[in-house]
Amino acid sequence: MKALTAGLLTALFLLIGPVALACRVCRPKVQAAIHTPEYTVNLLTLLLPVGALLLLAAVVFYAPIIKTRLTSSPAHG
Amino acid sequence: MAEQVHRGPLISAGLLIGAGLGGFVDGIVLHQILQWHNMLSAKMPPDNLVAAKVNMYWDGMFHAAVWVMTAIGLTVLWRVGHRRDVPWSGRTFFGALLLGWGLFNVIEGIIDHELLGLHHVYEYTDNKLPWDLAFLALGVLQLVVGWAFIRAGRNDTAVRGEVNS
Repeated sequence: MKALTAGLLTALFLLIGPVALACRVCRPKVQAAIHTPEYTVNLLTLLLPVGALLLLAAVVFYAPIIKTRLTSSPAHG
Repeated sequence: MAEQVHRGPLISAGLLIGAGLGGFVDGIVLHQILQWHNMLSAKMPPDNLVAAKVNMYWDGMFHAAVWVMTAIGLTVLWRVGHRRDVPWSGRTFFGALLLGWGLFNVIEGIIDHELLGLHHVYEYTDNKLPWDLAFLALGVLQLVVGWAFIRAGRNDTAVRGEVNS
């Protein structure tokens, strides 16, 4: 179910971009200005704060497990 | 032996939903209604139709990301509601929402406004720093108030179904 949802969302995001045709005249220029060699850098920098927040939330969620692993002494034998 | 209490999962859910809603406030109010900035407006000022539409695209990617963050937060909240070890505290959750919104403002403010310079809070002025600092100050205030609510919620112990809401 998770994999299906993730797959559908990814496919949706990949499909939306090329079919957005609100402006027939300027769309080629817009697409050219979006899909530059800097596209990946722009995307990653734009998503950086969201990634940081997700990581922080994961740390808060798993805090007891992380704390236990960090404080427990290594097993003997 | 009494079951151990875990507040982290509820705080985590509130943090994600609060940050997501904070992202929507930023996008809807500052990007679309007031039009003070866009995601890449410092790199590509929206001073012609093509540049404005490119900024619109990156705003959309930002909105998609905060939507995913909100959806994950809702999923976490749904699962937390079934756990007997997580107190169902309104104060904890409200505090976490504020904390998440504040974290969004502070993290986005530091990374996007100051470190990367993707955009500033108010682009149409020569001195952008006061606006950026005011945005950060709002975020810090939200962090403090949110933290206070979470601390107040430490005394709440009832789990979901036992709370009179």
